[in-house]
Amino acid sequence: MSAGPGSRHVVIGAGPAGLTAARELAQQGRSVVVLEQAGIVGGLARTESYKGFHFDMGGHRFFTKVDEVQKIWQQVLGSDFLRRPRLSRIYYDGRFFHYPLKPLNALAGLGLWRALLVVLSYLRWQLFPYKEERTFEQWVTNRFGRRLFLTFFKTYTEKVWGIPCSELRAEWAAQRIKDLSLRSAVVAMFVKPRTTIKTLIEEFDYPRLGPGMMWRATADEIRRAGGEVRLGAEVTEIRRTGRRVDGVVVTGPRGEEPVRGDQFLSSMPVTALVLRLSPPAPDAVREAARRLTYRDFLTVCLIVDRPDPFPDNWIYVHSPEVKVGRIQNFRSWSPDMVPDPTKASLGLEYFCSEGDALWTMADAELIRLGKEELERIGLARASEISDGCVFRVPKAYPVYDADYREHLDTVREFVDGLENLQTIGRNGLHRYNNQDHAMLTGLLAVRNLEGGARHDLWSVNTEPEYHEEVGISDAEASMLDGRVAEIFPRVDGVAFGAATGLVAGALLCLATLVLVWKGGPVVGPTLGLLAQFLPGYSVTATGAMIGLIYGALGGFLAGWSFAVIRNLTLFFSLSFLRRRAQRQLLKRFLEFV
Amino acid sequence: MATDTKDLEALVLVRVVRLNAAIAGVVTGLLAGLVLFAATNWLVLKGGPVVGPHLALLGQYFIGYRVSFVGSLIGFAWAFLLGFLAGAAVVAIYNRLADLRDPPARGR
Repeated sequence: MSAGPGSRHVVIGAGPAGLTAARELAQQGRSVVVLEQAGIVGGLARTESYKGFHFDMGGHRFFTKVDEVQKIWQQVLGSDFLRRPRLSRIYYDGRFFHYPLKPLNALAGLGLWRALLVVLSYLRWQLFPYKEERTFEQWVTNRFGRRLFLTFFKTYTEKVWGIPCSELRAEWAAQRIKDLSLRSAVVAMFVKPRTTIKTLIEEFDYPRLGPGMMWRATADEIRRAGGEVRLGAEVTEIRRTGRRVDGVVVTGPRGEEPVRGDQFLSSMPVTALVLRLSPPAPDAVREAARRLTYRDFLTVCLIVDRPDPFPDNWIYVHSPEVKVGRIQNFRSWSPDMVPDPTKASLGLEYFCSEGDALWTMADAELIRLGKEELERIGLARASEISDGCVFRVPKAYPVYDADYREHLDTVREFVDGLENLQTIGRNGLHRYNNQDHAMLTGLLAVRNLEGGARHDLWSVNTEPEYHEEVGISDAEASMLDGRVAEIFPRVDGVAFGAATGLVAGALLCLATLVLVWKGGPVVGPTLGLLAQFLPGYSVTATGAMIGLIYGALGGFLAGWSFAVIRNLTLFFSLSFLRRRAQRQLLKRFLEFV
Repeated sequence: MATDTKDLEALVLVRVVRLNAAIAGVVTGLLAGLVLFAATNWLVLKGGPVVGPHLALLGQYFIGYRVSFVGSLIGFAWAFLLGFLAGAAVVAIYNRLADLRDPPARGR
């Protein structure tokens, strides 16, 4: 995988992963060209603009536990970062609920009667859970009760993923929540929450003009360092000879053009990469690639003729009577995103699939729909909205459906076999990576090129920022995952019982024999009282043997009981901690959806 | 939660713990020594015509032990020794049996 100093590097995709990799390469003085299909850099973390208003596609908080990523952010933008307070709420059934959930606020919002029903529902499902947890619906219901599931999980999850919760497999939830909650529980036993990190969850850094500002500045750095960033350059063919990629064909305003290279880093969707290979990948790999799917979204951006319709950065819209899933208030992200202080700009996010009714709806229709729904929710009147535009974001979320793992493994095995190509970023790896982890895959890919390093990009942490509070590093967390069994071993009851029995029996036997050996007119009258409990025992040589047996039996029972009680206590205390961790996660459950 | 319990069972209490015989010996030795030291001095402080006749029977095993302050120090030493030997023996035997029942190569 190592590349010589004169090698030409081709980076496909100018998103966070691609640009981070290209910046690193350019700063090392290597020849690098970035090929971006869109006319704008940033990929899924781009910032669109319309009449001086800036719109962040999806909302990107700049918070990371990866020091190298933090360093790059500071190097590139430095003083252009703002520290912003975080406020987000859930809209459901005409009410707003704090997010992360606050129990009292949630219960007050639900009202006394419904709060009681929630509690009763919780108890009912604790007592009589689904015996099998095959679906996401069953998984959540078993843990939080059906009422909470219907209120806070069902509609939003279905909006995001476009399929009923009863068809989302429980493994999906388990993968994203369960292992973590055990880890959180374990970590919580040893690590105190760090208040500084808690603060960072309540606040976050944000570029003055949105995340796109970061990526424009990064592209400028690449160009200044001698690299090339080509926009509107779609890679339509990847040419290979056997397991080696020779070059790509770029289709752009100038028509088709071959671009040769020695090393290739691709953040384009791995499905498209496989399907554009020439000669084609084996049929099984192409079929597996076709079966990997994505969820897309579009943002209806509306200009409101009054400032601050609401103070939140964004609002999750759970109400099923509207289609909008999330509403961004861009001034709350950064005041500089809105050029006119008398106006506000909102982004209504609709989750959809490329080609479906929402995706293909005309922009004017979408703007009309956005206005109607905004008024229906009560955040602004349609008459207050003076302008609007629509931006579509394809392939925003890799879908973890029932078979994705199997298909991805097939694709990965083939792609890993291409000796001078590495896939990076969210779509390059088909992993639900956040921006910082996408950047990390770019950095690690470059290190793999330097020779010696062999980082597995597919295993770069995928977890969202939900365990920030416990304050452990990714490395510590992954180490902990493999060590839980070592941290919590059991005491072998039979072995401990037998050991205790042997020693107890020997002690009683010895104590008896010592008295017998010492002799006297009355031998061991006090020790002899044990006969009250141990029939047949006496302070004699024979009694010593009987005492040995009694001591062994009693010792075994005592030792075995100690081991069993110790193991059970440990197990139940871990179960309790785990349950508590899950309840903590419930408060921030939307980060997993 | 049936599934949770299963998951937890698969993760924790899987491996068999091995204990440190010396540490176990010191712990049980200290406990035994302190208990005897405290019990002896408690009786000494209570006083009376005959101080601790039953506890004094330990003198049959612990040479030099009496129910007095000096005796409590001697008792501490004896009890520590016996406790250490008993605790260390229990753990050493336990480790040996645990190795037989769950060989280290397979267990780790």
